[in-house]
Amino acid sequence: MATREFEVLDEAEASSSASPLLVLRNVAKSYWTGKIPVRALRSVSLALQPGEFVALAGPSGSGKSTLLNICGLLDRPDSGEHYFMQQDVGRLNDRRLTVLRREHIGFVFQGFNLVPVMSVHDNVEFPLWLGAGSARERRQRVHETLRSVGLEELAKRRPDELSGGQRQRVAIARALVKRPQLVIADEPTANLDTATANQIIDLMHELGQRQGTTFLIATHDVRMTSRCERVLRIEDGELR
Amino acid sequence: MKWLLFAARNVLRNRRRSLVTVLIGTVGTAAILVGGGFALFTYQSLEELSARDSGHLILAHHDYFDREEDVPMQFGLEHFERLRQEIERDERVRRALPRLQMSGLISNGEKSLVFIGTGIDPEEFDLKGPFLNVVAGSTLSRRPAADQPAEVLLGRELAKQLQAQPGTFITLLTTTTEGSLNALDVIVRGVIALGVPEIDKRIVLVHLPTAQQLLATDKVSTLSVYLRETAMTSAMKAELGARLPDYAIHTWLDEAFFYVAVRELYNRIFGLLGVIIVVIVVFAVANTLAMAVVERTREIGTLRALGTLPGQIKQSFALEGLIIGIASAVFGMLLAAAISMFLLLTGFEMPPPPGRSNGYPLYVNVSATLYAATSLVVALLSMLAAWWVSRRAARQPIVEALAHV
Repeated sequence: MATREFEVLDEAEASSSASPLLVLRNVAKSYWTGKIPVRALRSVSLALQPGEFVALAGPSGSGKSTLLNICGLLDRPDSGEHYFMQQDVGRLNDRRLTVLRREHIGFVFQGFNLVPVMSVHDNVEFPLWLGAGSARERRQRVHETLRSVGLEELAKRRPDELSGGQRQRVAIARALVKRPQLVIADEPTANLDTATANQIIDLMHELGQRQGTTFLIATHDVRMTSRCERVLRIEDGELR
Repeated sequence: MKWLLFAARNVLRNRRRSLVTVLIGTVGTAAILVGGGFALFTYQSLEELSARDSGHLILAHHDYFDREEDVPMQFGLEHFERLRQEIERDERVRRALPRLQMSGLISNGEKSLVFIGTGIDPEEFDLKGPFLNVVAGSTLSRRPAADQPAEVLLGRELAKQLQAQPGTFITLLTTTTEGSLNALDVIVRGVIALGVPEIDKRIVLVHLPTAQQLLATDKVSTLSVYLRETAMTSAMKAELGARLPDYAIHTWLDEAFFYVAVRELYNRIFGLLGVIIVVIVVFAVANTLAMAVVERTREIGTLRALGTLPGQIKQSFALEGLIIGIASAVFGMLLAAAISMFLLLTGFEMPPPPGRSNGYPLYVNVSATLYAATSLVVALLSMLAAWWVSRRAARQPIVEALAHV
């Protein structure tokens, strides 16, 4: 099994002359549900290149979310090596991981996860608050990003005044506003109708290409996997 | 500013719950301010009463306060007029008035009772101001005529027991400084009430020369020094002590046993109540924010995923607590000020305290210091409570927080 995983890693590393953005080697992760141990990931290895549009497909309980969480620096593996932007993640403390996420990783959640008390503008601006830019720069960046997702006119609205598709566009704008190296998207089209899902896929693809952002998208959606450059299939905690 | 705005929006997210919390905080703050204001009014009134009764400083023979006299006026002050003039040269001193303490028997011819008397300068009545309660007749004459009988003021209970009223002749009997008995017929000029039945049963006030005549002395017991400001008491005591090292000096506080007892009692009662109220307010704020933490667990996970530090999550909740605390403090101050104004206008009376016969007005002081300190405590403790309950949320693993339903 490990041989196949290293093949995945080697293929990805070989596909680009640039240094991989993210590398996992023999990563394993277990957790407990009550008194029962669950091996969510078993010796997973992969590499993501800058600008790649990668799908992560697999049935429920296969370890997709666990792998996404580790790739997004939201969780740490029990064993194995994990590099992000040439940094050994295992050696970084929680604060440094938070700063790395803040500066280089965007998230698109299945349930949108917008902050209900903030307007569309403020939701998109939020990741920039945490950084050092001036208010003017932030406004400019939010304005550009909202225009790129076609929500410029709705900037003052609250999330509960938007449709599902519009909310997911806000979430994409929030993920991309800081021009991250990596966007982690967990089932971004799961709650959307076909037409809206297609729009969201097009939008992510287009913006990803324009900004050179790497996308790692967990999905069951064939429409999504068919648009990705590479599809990683995971089953029982192993990449196939 | 962004975080403050974010916190304010979060406070308004569940308006009813926040409103109830602010209401609890408002009532709690107002209760502390009204209770504290009432205690301050009581302290201030008793302080004034005590200082006007004894004088801010009491200057006496160096043994006067510590030793018992073998014969009357053994530790009296000689040449007090010179001393008085010297003290009154200071601009901070309103007056330095002599007093002569004595005791003896008082009789209406049919009944004799023990009295405790004081020979005074009638100017004292001006200095006592509203704290002198003349229930019948008037105070002692400013310049008693030499051909008229000596005047006396009696305590209300004593007058009642002697069936005396203004114009009644009675006899005072004392022991002179030589140890012999001396009696003097005096006319009742007025009846006073000090509000303490035990004192009103015994007290007699006469002109200083009358007392000196009764005791056959030209000394006085003490000089009561009345200052322009009570706050100057300690400084003046130190200064006079240095200038007049041969004399003993007490402050009004040394003599104000009732004031000290009331202050200690009220400090404990209102202090304990204040602590209980603050604890209730803090629990209310903590409970509200704890519910918010649970409800917003997933959102906290999202904010953490986006790069918010645990400290920033705690800061955000602390700001929510601060906003609730400040709102409670502001509305609490307004409510307390309104209650104080209402009591001032309606003139409610408190019943007499134990051992007293007079009630007193229920006023509540509006003290800037008390208001500022209480508001600060309520706001800061609300903030701390919010910070405390948010620690769990900030510590929770992001993955768990995001999976929270």
